[in-house]
Amino acid sequence: MAVEYQPRMVGFLCNWCSYAGADMAGTSRMTYPPNIRIIRVPCSGRVDPLLVMKSFEQGADGVLVSGCHPGDCHYTEGNYHARRRFALLRSLLDFLGIEKERLRVEWVSASEGGRFKELVSSFTEELQRLGPRSEVSP
Amino acid sequence: MARIGVFICHCGTNIAGTVNIPEVVEAAKKMPQVVYAEDNRFTCSEPGQASIREAIKEYQLNRVVIGACSPRMHESTFRRTLAEAGLNPYLLEMGNIREHCSWAHTDKGAATEKAIDLLKMAVARVAWHEPLFPRQTGLTKRALVIGGGIAGIQASLDIADAGYEVVLVEREPSIGGRMAQLDKTFPTLDCSACILTPRMTQVGQHPNIKLLSYSELDEVSGYVGNFKVKIRRKARYIDETKCTGCGECATVCPVEVESEFNEGLGKRKAAYIPFPQAVPNKYVIDKRGYPPCRVACPAGVNAQGYVALISQGKFKEALEVVRRTMPFPAVCGRVCNHPCELDCERGTVDEPIAIRALKRFIADYELKAGREKPTPPSRTKEEKVAIIGSGPAGLACAYDLVREGYPVTVFEALPQPGGLLRYGIPEYRLPQEVLDDEIKYIQEMGVEIRTNSPVKDLGQIFNQGYGAIFLGTGAPTSQKMGIPGEDAPGVRHALDFLRRVNAGEKVTVGDRVAVIGGGNAAIDASRVALRLGAKEVFIVYRRSRAEMPAQKTEIEEAEREGVKINLLAAPTKVLTRDGKLTGIECIRMELGEPDASGRRRPIPVKGSEFTMDVDNVIIAVGQALDKEALPKDLAYTAWGTLQVEQTTLQTNIDGVFAGGDAVSGPAGVIEAIAAGKEAAISIDRYLRGLDLAEGRPQALKKVEKVSKEGVETKPRKSMPLLDVGKRGGSLAEVELGFDEKTAIEEANRCLSCAVCSDCRECEKVCEAEAIYHERGEELIEEEVGAIIVASGVKPLDHTLFPEYGGGKYADVIGALQLERMMSAAGPTGGEVLRPSNGAHPKTVVFISCVGSRDERTGKDYCSRVCCMYMAKHAILLKEHDPETQSYIFYTDLRGPGGKMFEQFMWRAERKAGAIYLRGRISDVYQKDGRLMVSGEDQERNEPVEIAADLVVLATGLMPSDGAAELARTLNISYDVKNFMLEAHPKLRPVETNTDGIFLAGAAVAPFDIPECVAQGGGAAAKVLSLFGHDTITTEPTTAMVDALRCIGCLLCTQVCPFSAIDPELTRDGRTIAAINETLCKGCGLCVAACRPGAVNLRGFSDQQLLAEVKSLWQ
Repeated sequence: MAVEYQPRMVGFLCNWCSYAGADMAGTSRMTYPPNIRIIRVPCSGRVDPLLVMKSFEQGADGVLVSGCHPGDCHYTEGNYHARRRFALLRSLLDFLGIEKERLRVEWVSASEGGRFKELVSSFTEELQRLGPRSEVSP
Repeated sequence: MARIGVFICHCGTNIAGTVNIPEVVEAAKKMPQVVYAEDNRFTCSEPGQASIREAIKEYQLNRVVIGACSPRMHESTFRRTLAEAGLNPYLLEMGNIREHCSWAHTDKGAATEKAIDLLKMAVARVAWHEPLFPRQTGLTKRALVIGGGIAGIQASLDIADAGYEVVLVEREPSIGGRMAQLDKTFPTLDCSACILTPRMTQVGQHPNIKLLSYSELDEVSGYVGNFKVKIRRKARYIDETKCTGCGECATVCPVEVESEFNEGLGKRKAAYIPFPQAVPNKYVIDKRGYPPCRVACPAGVNAQGYVALISQGKFKEALEVVRRTMPFPAVCGRVCNHPCELDCERGTVDEPIAIRALKRFIADYELKAGREKPTPPSRTKEEKVAIIGSGPAGLACAYDLVREGYPVTVFEALPQPGGLLRYGIPEYRLPQEVLDDEIKYIQEMGVEIRTNSPVKDLGQIFNQGYGAIFLGTGAPTSQKMGIPGEDAPGVRHALDFLRRVNAGEKVTVGDRVAVIGGGNAAIDASRVALRLGAKEVFIVYRRSRAEMPAQKTEIEEAEREGVKINLLAAPTKVLTRDGKLTGIECIRMELGEPDASGRRRPIPVKGSEFTMDVDNVIIAVGQALDKEALPKDLAYTAWGTLQVEQTTLQTNIDGVFAGGDAVSGPAGVIEAIAAGKEAAISIDRYLRGLDLAEGRPQALKKVEKVSKEGVETKPRKSMPLLDVGKRGGSLAEVELGFDEKTAIEEANRCLSCAVCSDCRECEKVCEAEAIYHERGEELIEEEVGAIIVASGVKPLDHTLFPEYGGGKYADVIGALQLERMMSAAGPTGGEVLRPSNGAHPKTVVFISCVGSRDERTGKDYCSRVCCMYMAKHAILLKEHDPETQSYIFYTDLRGPGGKMFEQFMWRAERKAGAIYLRGRISDVYQKDGRLMVSGEDQERNEPVEIAADLVVLATGLMPSDGAAELARTLNISYDVKNFMLEAHPKLRPVETNTDGIFLAGAAVAPFDIPECVAQGGGAAAKVLSLFGHDTITTEPTTAMVDALRCIGCLLCTQVCPFSAIDPELTRDGRTIAAINETLCKGCGLCVAACRPGAVNLRGFSDQQLLAEVKSLWQ
């Protein structure tokens, strides 16, 4: 039996919504693939593109940045900054030989454990579909 | 060099059940800089913590990593542990191996691998930790409570009783919330009002409670202990400090709308309190902007105001409302082109209100009854104003100025005042005595009118001591057509013709008369010609009927009287023989592209000439200014009208203003009145030396949404007319006017769009002089240290469930409506009645779980109170009428663990005889005046059908309107159902994730009354424990700037949501960014924005986060 390809994933989750949403998924015993490594940040707006690129450099196959839903940011507008910043970064990823699908920016609220589970599951599946990163990419 | 200790928690089997702990401990021991690793069954327990403390001492640990639950759970616990061991509490890092690992995964190998990774990340990160020192700040020991339901009331009283000030903000005019709407409470059947109102009164009278009703939270800034909140005090229009709650305003208020408090079953006035025991007992006027009719009126006449008063039979007062704006109710009631009716909202239901006819009715009513002489306003100003021309523009201007206190003189060239009203409108439309009386009224108000006084020289007027002049000279001359033969005898001009008739001159017409034109003057001339004996009258108009500018009703009446209309024809030549008129030659027209006026341009059809044999031709193709008669030096537009500044109506001559037809060209009476009024404002400002244009034109804010729910169609009352047969040979008025009954009925069709009709009757009766119709909303600022959110719930709207007949049948009601009917203070005085016919229902069917536990509505939760209130209703129905039989269709019966709940449902079944049927309803339909409820009895496994008199939908609860917006304003979390989110669902049920903001009551989830009270008390306790301190410790995880790396681009200042970064000058003269640590909340936006990497965030530094990333997959 062939071993299924296991992608490596990093998730930058804001403390107020998405990290709590991931907590909620666990508290509710919702299971999802174990591939993601979560890094807690105060706000999705704190996530410097550098952190994302370093994650890819380190060998991540996919990076998730997740914050509060638009309008719900604990710091009022941090997620809007994140949204713009990563829209731009995503459009650059293709140039670097990294499929832009490997960077996801999503909104998960503190009550959305189910959404977090779905998100990680579908992202994992997508990364499995994409396969390992190409040799030439950084 | 870091000396890191790693402590791994089994959490019983919560972690150890999935993660291989010994393997993790072994791996941890090999991690860089780790000098010690151990595992504990429960690290958070006292032995677990003691073990950490000992290890810190024994191994001289200077960093600690704990692999356990989420840091959101126990980070603060373990920080204290570190502090107790003498370490800086911020030298701790937690690996979340429970929520993010053991609970989320089932594969032991993968979970163990992940747990090791998570600890590796934590170890890498903790090496970069630095000691951090929280700051102490002072706090304001005042609390804000949002929502005055029972939870908010309890919280407010508890805090206030402890000696701290409370600001209680309630959106409605009164506190009390949902509990105030209830009749009885389960399971004790206490009277809800009896137990609630004493508490409400206590709130109202408590020296420590500042009650802000009819107010909403607008903005929040600051942080725990130091919040600054802005509160929007909605315009109440009644001064709370003066209002004595006597209710006289509501008694005289003519406007009735559905009472929200009574769930639409009863009415309330526009000036109201929701219920008699309201706290504060201060009235509110419900004003929602300006009604469309008033906005549509060029002069802003308050149609809703006088219509509302007519509906109450207050005709005299209604007339006052008209005269508050302008002095021509009788004239406008007859000849106005009523733009108000075109915009009338009732028109979207069936037909617009007959506003013009109603106005005429009140004017006629006074004329018939005899009018009291008005008291002229006192003359408070010295500067005299001259008005030239006594048409509607001039007189309206004079009327406004004399009421402002100016001495006003009107100069009229003709022998009688009134302008075109007198000389241009035939008597069958506007009888002279009606006009006479209105002009007399204006004179009685103090306006001096000098007839036979043409003014040629404005300088002379100024020399006579007049400070300002208004020109309202109109457009009194008929325009020529410019066709051959136009000056032949027998060719007349409409205005000249009408003027001579109105002046009483003897005017004769031939047998066959052609009238050229399609405006009101053409219709007037043709109808007058008929009345003077013409056998046949033809109107010749060059466009089609749709383009005729005359009023539609006028055209119809003219045709009924026998006027023939020849459309798409234009005269080309007047035919004469021997100096006598014999006819006109016309040409057919067709319509081309729209012209500048938007109407389609008529184009002659070649070779289509035809002739009409007529004895007279009356030309009514337009009116123009009489420039000969106007004073010199005035500027004109290309159209030949007076040139004025559009907003102020000032002409090219200083102190001279103009308006009406002289400026606009021929237009309606109401437009002229509007211009006169605008000019009056300008003249007043001019004479007082104020800026003429400031704040003008003032646009009235139209009411946004008008409720038309449940409005039954009812046709508009038609105007009674004089028989066509009786009209010939006489100038008797054609429209006869409404009688009293018709007027009242018609006025009652009004939808009261703006709710308050601005009739100002309340002002007259308010002895406390508390009413201020002009006073708007107010924003106030309060400083508080803590906030409690108790925004509550509302029941789902039962009309959203047509599958159960909700909104379809009157006898299908919501549970809260039944509650209101049961209340002795309710709309039916405590009687349960079928809304359809007012009879007592004998069979009542309850349907449970309407909207709740239903994934289709998105409300998949149980609303918790419905099973119990259905039991309550069944018991009470039996008490109200022993013959009532209740059926309760339920899904599951849930007495949510409350005291005596189970027994209460037994009581409903055994004592009150309620029949409980398990099953859902498939259909509710009407048959023979009853409601057939068919469903399934799942216990007997057979279909059931019950003929009911009343069906009660036990609709679920949902968060109050605006709950999500409120949460956003406060920056607290809420769930997908818009319920507020607790900091922890078990252990921190009244706290939010934002320090200093607490939750109480059903804003969190559906709760019953005792739970709400307990939560209110709980939230108050949290606030009080905060207020027990004199300082507040704030998180030290703030941003910092490396002064050497900062290049002073200040991009960080632009992204900071809290304005916590300011430019600062260094000693060597460079500009750099400086963080204000009091304002910084530690979001880190500045860090991500900083190009040179000069800004960093304590606790979440680039180095810390990068260390985590770099530890992966090595």
